[in-house]
Amino acid sequence: MRRSTEIAESIRIAIESLRMNLLRSILTTSGVVVGVVLVVVMGWTIGGLDAVWEQAISIMGKDMLYIDKWSWSGGGNWRLMEARKDITLQQAQLLASRMESAECVMPVVRLWSGSVVRNNTSLRCGILGTTNEYGQTSSAELSSGRFFTSIEDYHGAKVVVLGEGVAKGLFPGEDPIGQTIKIISEPYRIIGVIAKRGFLFMDFVDNQVVIPLESFRSTVGLFERSVSVGIKSGSERMLDIVRTEAIGHMRAIRSVPPGAVDDFSINETQAFDEQVKNIRIGIWIVGMGLTILAFIVGSIGIMNIMYVSVTERTKEIGVRKAIGARRNSILLQFLIESSLLCVIGALIAFPFAQLIVGSARYIAVDLLEQDWASVVSPLIPLDLLMIAVGVSIVVGLLAGLLPAIKASRLDPVEALRYEQ
Amino acid sequence: MSHPIIEISNLVKCYEMGGEEVYALRDVSVTIGSNEYVAIMGPSGSGKSTLMNMLGCLDTPTSGTYYFNGEDVREMTDDDLAEIRNREIGFVFQTFNLLPRATALQNVELPLVYSGVSKTERHDRATRALEQVNLTDRMTHKPNELSGGQRQRVAIARAIVTAPSIILADEPTGNLDTKTGHDIMALFRHLWEAGNTVILVTHEEDVARHARRIIRLRDGRIESDTVNPDA
Ligand SMILES: Nc1ncnc2c1ncn2[C@@H]1O[C@H](COP(=O)(O)OP(=O)(O)OP(=O)(O)O)[C@@H](O)[C@H]1O
Ligand SMILES: [Mg+2]
Repeated sequence: MRRSTEIAESIRIAIESLRMNLLRSILTTSGVVVGVVLVVVMGWTIGGLDAVWEQAISIMGKDMLYIDKWSWSGGGNWRLMEARKDITLQQAQLLASRMESAECVMPVVRLWSGSVVRNNTSLRCGILGTTNEYGQTSSAELSSGRFFTSIEDYHGAKVVVLGEGVAKGLFPGEDPIGQTIKIISEPYRIIGVIAKRGFLFMDFVDNQVVIPLESFRSTVGLFERSVSVGIKSGSERMLDIVRTEAIGHMRAIRSVPPGAVDDFSINETQAFDEQVKNIRIGIWIVGMGLTILAFIVGSIGIMNIMYVSVTERTKEIGVRKAIGARRNSILLQFLIESSLLCVIGALIAFPFAQLIVGSARYIAVDLLEQDWASVVSPLIPLDLLMIAVGVSIVVGLLAGLLPAIKASRLDPVEALRYEQ
Repeated sequence: MSHPIIEISNLVKCYEMGGEEVYALRDVSVTIGSNEYVAIMGPSGSGKSTLMNMLGCLDTPTSGTYYFNGEDVREMTDDDLAEIRNREIGFVFQTFNLLPRATALQNVELPLVYSGVSKTERHDRATRALEQVNLTDRMTHKPNELSGGQRQRVAIARAIVTAPSIILADEPTGNLDTKTGHDIMALFRHLWEAGNTVILVTHEEDVARHARRIIRLRDGRIESDTVNPDA
């Protein structure tokens, strides 16, 4: 009861004294303002990075493993990978037949620099040959038409599923389904279009066409082409089991002697997570460094102004003590004042932070037309604001502690004798 | 005489001033009972304010004993003393010592804030205290909007709002003109007649005349302690 009336009184006094010295109070909080802006912008940047990244890697499929001659994430020794033997279609098919834990396994062959022709228009694009199982992965969500069947694959039917970029490029404003294009002079009938998936550096995925593996063999050929094997585990929980099984089979199939390192790479989204983690840590360290610096400068300012406030109000402290304020009452009064000062700093900072965040997104999305940036929120999330307020309260309490202790320990008689 | 509120014996207060010892009080013994009206007199520097601060538990003696309502003040912690000041003592100062940014009502409510009285009860009790000093028409005024006499009446209302055991006033009329001083003295007399214990410091014989008992200090010692024949 006594506590709550004292807290209410302290808040009233604090607001009053801040109002009395409005300009001084606002100037004092500038360090805290900078600190809060930094915290909020940093938090938003990391959040945005996560959102962009999440979007980017979801293209690969979070439950997918890709066995390949190459490591996609850029890790590993390039020369060593170059020296690896190609993964042959036979090896891929053997793996597919032996895998038990996976939902489905599909060999994938690629011609990176292919082209397709409609009438006289030619478009450069990737050509991808795979089995009908590819149609079950998140990489092949269709916007129209259908994927090819196992029968079409078996017979090497000349049917093609277009990536969104190719469909737009060759058939602007038209429905491509049922039309015909030529792939290396062979006519292919279009049966489906894959929905747009491309994003940031992954936008090549929209600029390719998918045909049955058997058709790829006859039209493009498999000569000197390393096959990659897509393995769909069905769920992220199954990834470990599927990975272990796949490595075991693959080593047996490629006769890797016990103790030797794998002569193939397992590519999965998790591997990319490591990289983004490093970027996050980088932003975090730099951001935290700047933030702590700003808060240190800010709290020195707050501490100074609180010392001034204690001195200016020595007489008031004496009066309060004379009529029964205990040490803790005085301590509380000044701690509330200093933390309120910091909360005001945070409130001043929010519009600035929002302005920075909003402009950054506007510049990226609207001026530079970077579509990928549109997944980043244009508003500072609420929890970040709460954290910022929390941090500034803590800073206020720390910065106000010494002045408040000084105030609470003043001798009442001397405080009452004090004259300005 | 009823039971004593204040029992002081052999009280000494010594200040250290640059290696030199200044005795503000030397060997003061006094007993003051409930519903007494005491004036403390003496020349400037004789230790009147020092004694008042001691009586009001604002300051602690260098040596000697002080029993307040039978309790040994030397045994008390800072917070115990704060609580005594809050509940048992009402201070009135020469320079009023009101909080400049608070209204008259808020100033009077302040002691109740520190004893944890609820907002509505605070308001009621502060209003009644201001009624007792005839200032209900100035409740929302700030100190700088009030005359000296009005300010002192706010200060008296603040002193009595907790219904303390004693009211201590250090030269309450020192900053007021004669006429206003008389009004304030009438107020103290009224409080005393209503059953309060009043101790005040003054060096005006005219003011001291109101009291039933006059204690005279000189050089930190009690020179005389007499019953006032006039009162
Ligand atoms: N904080 C202090 N430090 C040093 N000496 C002090 C202190 N307070 C009081 N004194 C000394 O103690 C003595 C008594 O002071 P006190 O204020 O009690 O006098 P007083 O009787 O109230 O005088 P006045 O009528 O002028 O108010 C004085 O000599 C004064 O100088
Ligand atoms: Mg004095």
